[in-house]
Amino acid sequence: MADRSSHDPLHDPLAGIAFDRVPPAGAYGAAGEPGVGVSTAEEPFIALAVARQGHAASVVERLRRALGVELADRPHAAIEGGTTVVGTAPGRFLVLSRSEPDLAGTLRAVLGTEAAVTEQGDGYVTFDLSGPRVPDLLAKGALVDLDPLVFRVGDAATTVIAHIGVTLWRTGETSYRLLVARSLEAAFTRFLIASGAEYGLRLENQGSGGRG
Amino acid sequence: MRIPCPYCGERDAHEFSYLGDATLVRPDPAAVDAQDSALADRFHDYVYLRDNPAGAHREWWYHANGCRQWVRVTRDTRNHAIAGASLAREPGDAA
Ligand SMILES: [Zn+2]
Repeated sequence: MADRSSHDPLHDPLAGIAFDRVPPAGAYGAAGEPGVGVSTAEEPFIALAVARQGHAASVVERLRRALGVELADRPHAAIEGGTTVVGTAPGRFLVLSRSEPDLAGTLRAVLGTEAAVTEQGDGYVTFDLSGPRVPDLLAKGALVDLDPLVFRVGDAATTVIAHIGVTLWRTGETSYRLLVARSLEAAFTRFLIASGAEYGLRLENQGSGGRG
Repeated sequence: MRIPCPYCGERDAHEFSYLGDATLVRPDPAAVDAQDSALADRFHDYVYLRDNPAGAHREWWYHANGCRQWVRVTRDTRNHAIAGASLAREPGDAA
């Protein structure tokens, strides 16, 4: 693991890292206990279900019964075991699964002709952010108020952070999950490092340091 | 300026793109006077002519960097106060 921590506030934690490469795993910025942890290690299966006109309520009901989640048609993340369902628009849901490789096929069987289902796993990188300073970091790039008093556990938002489209939700007291288009992984990771360096940031990813 | 998206909640205007007047109704091209210049005139007005009111204005905003829904917003052009917003997919008044 690279150690790019420094006490020098003018030290650029991204010095020497190519713009078009995902920065390598390691410690960045302020030394000591990191205020922010970032991991893209988990790669869940992801699919999108879009209810056809007039079928949103029925799609919610079918997903609720099939996946055992407490679901409603609103910007919220319903988590049950290894399955997460996130509302991103009226009648539109991103489904994540830790264990179901043919997630789109499963959802098609559950939803029939009431929804359009597409595979999305290749499209997104999953960023798991944790630590007490995550809201401070995200506040530097987000347009929405992510203060823990306002943005509660389970709340979700599809928005832009640092000019990059993001769907995010709060998974715990100090943990957040963000989905970012895979082609923007390097750019978004750079934003996290540049903005999180003052709190100390520990990055965990696939470790090649060469993904572009 | 913040726009209250009916799905996402209050969001910065930068997340939206603006279309304009939400009260215009597209003329029916199959109307009986389809060959008339009157119909062409109505299309001309529909495509090109806009009022520029000082006060309440009902307008379309597209929540491109959010839920990607068209939103019908009633905004006061003098002070940007927004009286209401509704999804385009749900017909009806904005307020
Ligand atoms: Zn919205």
